[in-house]
Parts: sequence; C-alpha cells; structure tokens
Amino acid sequence: MTWEMVVGASVFAAMLRLAAPIALAALGGTMTERSGVTNIALEGSMLVGCFFGVVAADRTHNVWIALAVALLAGMALAALHAYASITLRADQIVSGMALNILALGLTTYLDYQMYGTTGTPADLAAVPDLHLTFLNGIPYVGEAIADQNSIVWASLLLVVALQVFLFRTVLGLRWRAVGEHPRAAETVGVDVRRIRYAAVLASGALAALGGAYLSLGVVHSFTDGMTGGRGFIGLAAMIFGRWTPLGALAASLIFGYGNALSTSLQGATVGDTKLPVQLLGTLPYILTILAVAGFVGRSRAPAADGVPYETEGHA
Amino acid sequence: MTQLQEPATTGPGAERPAPSVRQLTFQFAAGPAIPVLSVVIALVLGAIFVLFSGNDPLRAYAALVQGAFGTPYDITETIVSAIPLVLTGLAVAVAFRTGLFNIGAQGQLLVGALGAGWAGAQFASLPGFLLMPIVIVFGIGGGALYGGIVGLLKAVRGVNEVITTIMLNYTIVFVIHWLLQAGPMTAQNAFGTPASTPIGAGARLPVIIPNELVLFSRLHAGLFLAALAVAFFWFLLWHTPLGYRLRAVGLGARAAAQAGIDPARHMILVMAIAGGFAGLGGMIEVSGVFGRVYDGFSSSYGFDAIAVALLGKNSPLGIVFAALLFGAFVHGGAYMQSHAGISSNLVAIIQAFVLFVIAAESLVRSLTRRRGARKPMEAIA
Repeated sequence: MTWEMVVGASVFAAMLRLAAPIALAALGGTMTERSGVTNIALEGSMLVGCFFGVVAADRTHNVWIALAVALLAGMALAALHAYASITLRADQIVSGMALNILALGLTTYLDYQMYGTTGTPADLAAVPDLHLTFLNGIPYVGEAIADQNSIVWASLLLVVALQVFLFRTVLGLRWRAVGEHPRAAETVGVDVRRIRYAAVLASGALAALGGAYLSLGVVHSFTDGMTGGRGFIGLAAMIFGRWTPLGALAASLIFGYGNALSTSLQGATVGDTKLPVQLLGTLPYILTILAVAGFVGRSRAPAADGVPYETEGHA
Repeated sequence: MTQLQEPATTGPGAERPAPSVRQLTFQFAAGPAIPVLSVVIALVLGAIFVLFSGNDPLRAYAALVQGAFGTPYDITETIVSAIPLVLTGLAVAVAFRTGLFNIGAQGQLLVGALGAGWAGAQFASLPGFLLMPIVIVFGIGGGALYGGIVGLLKAVRGVNEVITTIMLNYTIVFVIHWLLQAGPMTAQNAFGTPASTPIGAGARLPVIIPNELVLFSRLHAGLFLAALAVAFFWFLLWHTPLGYRLRAVGLGARAAAQAGIDPARHMILVMAIAGGFAGLGGMIEVSGVFGRVYDGFSSSYGFDAIAVALLGKNSPLGIVFAALLFGAFVHGGAYMQSHAGISSNLVAIIQAFVLFVIAAESLVRSLTRRRGARKPMEAIA
C-alpha cells in the first residue's frame, strides 16, 4: 500500500467521477423530500435515464437530444410516482418499489427485444469530457480535474444552484415550508400540490441525468441494471447530507472516495494481510444508519416528508 | 375494518404507528376478489405492453403457462422457486401485521444463507441428525439477528425501518463480496463465481420426489420447512397471546401501549421473527438447492416478497398462493424467453403492475372513504 493509492491525483479524479451520479440522485432526493414527498424510485428514474438516453443516442446520433430524452424518461417515471403519491395519496414506499421493479423490468425487457444479446451499438454519441488544457501543467490538479466529464461539472453547478434556490429564494422558502408544514404553507397561499409535483418531476430529471452520465458519459453503452443501487446510495447521501444540496455533495464525495479507494487499493497489502477492500462498499450504508440513529450528528427529515396532503378545501 | 379510529400520531417516534401500512393490511378484507382482480389487471396491462413492443401476448402467456406447469418437472420447479418467496413473504407480512414495513427480507435471507452456509461447512463431518438442526438454527439465527438490529434501532433510536432495511440490504451484499472473494468463507476451488466451501452431506435437504416419479426433480424437503413456517405464522399471530399483542401494536401502537403492551419491545421482537423467516428461506436455498453460498445468490427474492405479502393480504394461505404465482412467473419466464423469444423480464413488468394496482386499490378506498379520517404513513426517517 502506498500513499499514491490513497490520496493520489488519480484517486481524486476517480472520486469525482464516482461521486457525480450519487450526488445527482441525492440532489433529486433532497428536492423531493424537502417538499414532503419520499421518492425511492430514484433508482428507477436513473435506470430509465441510462437506457432511453442510449436508445435516443443510437437513433438520433445527437447527444443533446439523447440527454433530453433521458431526462424526459426519468421525469415520466417520476410523474407516475407523483400521481400516485400526491393526487391518489397512495403509499409512497409501495409506489416507489413498484416503479423500481417496473424500471428494471422495462429496461431489461426492451434491451433484450431491441439489442438482443449483442449489446448496445458501439458508436454511440457520448457526452463530451471537458478538457481544461490550461490546467495540464499544474501537478496533481491537472490530473485530478482537467479531464472530467461535462456532467461532473454540471452536477457541481447544480449543487450550488439548488443550495441557493432552496435557502436563498422565496420559492425555495415555500418549497421547504410545504415539506415542513403544508397546511401552514397553504393558508398563506402556497399551492402545495403544484410544488410537490414540480419537486417529484425535478427529482426524476436529476436522477435521470445521473443515469445518462453513467451510460452516455462514462461507459457509452447500456447493460441491464447498470445503476447498481446508485439511486439508493443517493438516498443515503441525501440523509447523511441532512437534506441539503451542499451536504448531499459532501456525502457523495465521501461515498465516491470510498468507491475510488476500493478500486485503487485492490490487491493492496498491509504487512502480509490483504486489505478487505470489498468492505469499503458498506461505508455509505453504515454511515447513513449511524447518522439517522443520531450517532454521527443528527439527521432529521422534513417534518411532512412522506405525508400525503389533502387540501383544506376538501376536508 | 377500515373504519378503525386512528390514534394520534404525536407520541414519541417509537410509538408512532404506520397507518397506511395498516391500511394495506386490511384493505383486502373482502376476500380474494381484489387480489385476483389486481393480477388480472396487471396481466392485461402486460399484454398491452407486449403488443406494443411488437409481440404476440397470447403466445407469451401460453409459453409462460407451458413453462411453469407444462410437465410434472416444471410443476416441481415452480414449487422450488416459490419456497423462498413463501418464507420472505412471511417475513414481510409478520412485520406488516405489527405496523412495520420490512423491505429488508432480502438482506435477512442473505444473512440466513451465510449462517447456514458457514455452519454447514464448518461442521460438515457431523451426521445429519446433528448437523441439520445446527444449520437451521444458524439460518434462522442469522436472519433474526439482522432483522433484530432494525427493530432495535427503531425501538431505541426511532429510526425508520424503511431506511435501515434498505441500507442493510446493500451492506450485506458487500460483506458477501468480501467473505466470498477474499474473506474467511472463500472456497479454494470455486470455479469462476466466488463461492463458499460446500456444506456437508448431512446439511443437505434431500430431494423428496423419487426419480421414478419425476426425473431429475429438485423439489427438496425445504417444502416441509416452508409449510411448518406458514403454520407457525398462523398459529403465532392468531392463537398465542404474543401474536395478539403483535397485532394490537400493528392496529395502533398508542392504544396498545395504553393497554399495557410495550410497542418498542414488540417491534424488536417482530423484526427478529421476520428476519428468522427470511433467514430460514436463505438456509433452505443453501441446503436444498445450491449446497453453498455464492456471490450473486438469490438477488431479488426479498423484493418479490413485498408483492407476495401484499398480494397475499398478509394472510397465511394468501401468501402461499401469491408465492406460487410468482414462482410460476420465475420458472415459466425462463421458458418463455427461450421458446417464445420474449424476455423473461416481462414477468418483472407484470409484477410491478400488480404492486401498482395494489397501491392504486388503496387509493380508490381512500377516495371513497370519509376524508380526513386517515393519517399518513410516517416520514421516511
């Protein structure tokens, strides 16, 4: 084991790469739960984003159309969840589970029917990397951030933008009010349903962007179930980041770093013992449980999170 | 049943019931009509989907049925697929009955499988009459421990069980990677897929269908364990004081507390029981089917279990029928893919529709019921 394996520029670069999709899912989770709707179908939105982004890239050879299609697919799945949980006031966990299963079944089914066993085409339009050539000469920094994908940078911008939005704008204040005390928000004229619909759709789009990043930004192909639970890690990052965009980013970086280490430390030894790098994968989940249980800080959900709302007019 | 008075939800976290879970428990009180209807609706939606993707739905479903029940061998394979679903279905249902949403049957099943796989290999030389009980105890114990953590965190720190179970499901996947790839359970001679050392002969559940009857049948004695578990579920919940108290907590933790029942204690207990069911399911998979634990073992039984429990109305017989239906989907789906060229994932789509229709059913009721009577499920966290 060397320091290079732990804090090297390539590890830093990998951390950013691996954190981006988690951060996007976590942002989605933060936006929807701040408005009071739990959405565990982020994993599903991510997966349909992955798949339909690839299909669109294959058909149109235009990466921007592909990205748009990916976001729309994620939002479509989220719209089902919004309809079930806001309009129909169904159980949000059951609806989310159903949509996750639907997304996995649907994408795997269509993948098989459309691309059979040969896999998706090799020459897909890809989301470009951003080559910051002026950084190339600088040691460490150059290798760490000069060649990241555009979506990595976009996700960092989104973190800042959404942090400002939620905590420094009037609409953001209303958004949070709806998640904390919808009845009070409604009495001062806030449209609870509209904000919640917007929030759930936004969460689907953000998660799908994370999915499109995986398929169009990183591997340039689709494989069944390729999100591999990142939507759920995103939920963990949201909780560990205490339902704020900046917190979600910080948590995602920690989780991404753990991921990066489990690759860079593969086969590494301390003395004679092989490091159990696989166990690093448990980090996000255990930290999250500890955070929710109050052993590492105290993570508190918005008060009305997961609670369907009936407008007073109907009562 | 749906008109039950809701208790206030202002108590401490541990005492807060999850009313919509209760609602899901009782919504099917009218008998099997609605579950059957929801499956029919899901099949119709699935057929429409197949049609739109350019295939013949009748051919798909014919192949599905043919694959699941076409020969005596297929029937036994369908039952083999249904057995772990029965156990994980019970794990979800017993928690539902106590007002908890156990998404963790998957993780609990895996820990049970690990426990059974470890004990079965560790004490491999013991004779069956000694080894089998040990393996069963390790399977149930492993699952119970993993489920118990969830109940404990809920009771002591007020942590929502949905979060804990999701996190623990993923945690165990990585622990298994480690155990089987470079850890203490890694077998020396695992071909390709990382796997544990095979369990001893005495830990194997025997095949119960002789070759003369059905050639190469894999239907194993785990069937009897599953039947016992179903009977235990029924007896525990409806014929013991403990079961009465568990259901009381599920109906209203606050009211139960007023009657001297400690909800926190019963939440820990029921999650351990739930984990025990799922852990037994894992043990049965190891002892009856695979003979060892390998990486990527039983990846979706725990999630199918939620659909099984909800479709089966959290009742013993309902769970058995729902598990058989989904077992038929699992086994028949493979045949459908190889013989009709339609991806076996159609089955997952149908399953998702079943769940969605169930969720929608609860909403139809909530729309027709007097408004304002219903409090929502507690927040996630």
